[in-house]
Amino acid sequence: MINERQFLDNQTKTALWQIVLDYRQKREKSLLKNDLERERFREELFQIKESSLSQINQLSEKAIHNLQSNGITVFKSKDDEEARQIIEKILKDKKKIIKAKTNAYLEIENQDFLKDKEIIETDLGDFLVQLLEEKEIHPVLPALHLTPEKISQKIKEKFNIDLKSQPEKIAAFARNYLRKKILTAEAGISGANAITSDGKILILENEGNISLVSRWPETHIIVAGFEKIVPHLEEALKVIQASAIWGTGQDFPVYVSIISGPSKTSDIQNQTIIGAQGAKEVFLVLIDNGRSRLIEEGFAELLFCINCGACLDFCPVYHQIGSNYGDKYLGSKGVIFSAFAQDFRQAVEANCFACTLCSSCYENCPMKINLPELMKKLRSYLTKENLQTEENQKMIEKIRQFGNPFGKIEEGQTPKELYCC
Amino acid sequence: MGIFDKILGGNTLYYPGCLTKFVAKDLKENYEKILRSLGIDFIELSEIEVCCGSPVLKAGYADDFKNLAEKNLKIFKEHSVKKIITNCPACFLVFKKTYQEFLKEKWDIQVEHISQTIHSEIKNQKPKIIIQNHEIKKITYHDPCHLGRQMGVYEEPREVIQSLGYEIVEMELNRLDSFCCGAGGGIQTNEPKLADKIAKDRISQAKKTETKMLITTCPLCYLHLQKNAQDELLVQELSQLFKNND
Repeated sequence: MINERQFLDNQTKTALWQIVLDYRQKREKSLLKNDLERERFREELFQIKESSLSQINQLSEKAIHNLQSNGITVFKSKDDEEARQIIEKILKDKKKIIKAKTNAYLEIENQDFLKDKEIIETDLGDFLVQLLEEKEIHPVLPALHLTPEKISQKIKEKFNIDLKSQPEKIAAFARNYLRKKILTAEAGISGANAITSDGKILILENEGNISLVSRWPETHIIVAGFEKIVPHLEEALKVIQASAIWGTGQDFPVYVSIISGPSKTSDIQNQTIIGAQGAKEVFLVLIDNGRSRLIEEGFAELLFCINCGACLDFCPVYHQIGSNYGDKYLGSKGVIFSAFAQDFRQAVEANCFACTLCSSCYENCPMKINLPELMKKLRSYLTKENLQTEENQKMIEKIRQFGNPFGKIEEGQTPKELYCC
Repeated sequence: MGIFDKILGGNTLYYPGCLTKFVAKDLKENYEKILRSLGIDFIELSEIEVCCGSPVLKAGYADDFKNLAEKNLKIFKEHSVKKIITNCPACFLVFKKTYQEFLKEKWDIQVEHISQTIHSEIKNQKPKIIIQNHEIKKITYHDPCHLGRQMGVYEEPREVIQSLGYEIVEMELNRLDSFCCGAGGGIQTNEPKLADKIAKDRISQAKKTETKMLITTCPLCYLHLQKNAQDELLVQELSQLFKNND
């Protein structure tokens, strides 16, 4: 059961509400600006992902072949441990690493991972969370619970610089601080928003940090789940557009990098030299980590997810317990994912039995993932494994014996325990 | 309904659902009176029918759910039920949508939420029911998740409320965007603190409309929001707006 400490404080709750209501308005405006009809676009996105996942093995093989022939080294990893080993090996002799926002990395990391290296978060939100030793609270806005006052105070303690709680000054400080780190970094790590079967990797951003992470150091490592693969650029750009609209309410991100290989030049006598101004070596770590099991067990729809976080916007549970709802990924998606990336017990820990099944996540999902249906299915799996709650057990016994969830009711009496619906 | 229609057309069942039948009993009485005064001929199967299965399926007991659906279908057939009217959105959703996915036998019983029944009757005739004399005339309406977002019934309850002389001031989150009351999915018993906190959020959203009364069309939303509103807001279920003049 959720304990008292897991509930959000009022200040964080208010901040969350302001942001999601603002996003809702911006999202509608962005759809208008792009001449997109919401439901039609959602249907189109659903079709793209459904068709891609139904042929994922062929698409994946094709993508790996094309990426390799473009000069990108591709590794497939069956789980988080294998992914960590691959990355550790690539980074063996490197000490200074810069990182962009990537959910796939968060998915595979553990406490000891890359502990011998200096890892710098370059996304402003992630940087602030790292600086204040806090926990991300939102997949797109990890630091939305940190006030300028709180940030300013920490920077003063740590660097003896007074930024007077001004957001612009905080951003300028981060820009200067991070640039120095970026200049000396030996490797960059990022995620990917889409990968095409013809061998292109797409990454979106607003801040410009990913452009630097992917181009400045000699080595660029991309971590991504195999579900990011779609047939061509056309579909990939639709995914990018949806990520911007539902993620931050923008009609399009500021930058989209399309990476098809390490940087190269043929300027000297038409001889191709790998490694010009951008990365000299590019690695893609494609992770499974429970994804194949999700498909086998009938949860393939979960892999349509583009990590925009819109499912959390009006989730009644998320608004009370924030990142305590879910696991590596937040909300109902995170609960379901944890059951297959880890085990069923983890899904219970992630608060599977806290979901009210209100369907607001489904309604807000650009990919039309029917999360409440998947949640019900997961609960039936947990119940079969005897992981049901005590209350549910009491309820079902009454149903089996009396045909109603309250048990035997004498004339004129009202049941005390109101298990219903 | 004439006797031949009844034989040929079958019976109309008023199915209040467990929560209304055993807990919010006053709502059941209200609806029986309302249906009668609308001239609707209906039967009740109080002790005979079983739970619709909504809480069972949501808790993850799919096999038990199927059993309940089969039991109910058998009972309904034995009583020549051709139409079900229910005031519980969860029962409504389950009967109208989910049973046919689980049952091997054909399910051809017509299902209505009671707000839809009242809505069509009010349009056709002037019912012999009068409005409860609430001094409050400006109210806000809470869309139950199962009735609104999951079944698309948004306007009928609103039009019934308006026809009774109330003015609806909408909350920022309404219809498709309605915010859950916090009681569904079994969390009222599994996570009672969480359920209460969600309800309190919904109550404060309702208070922003500056109305003094919230009306809803779900017995669970009603009981849960009422418990958490305390004296801040009057929470009423649709049937409580009616007063029978018999």
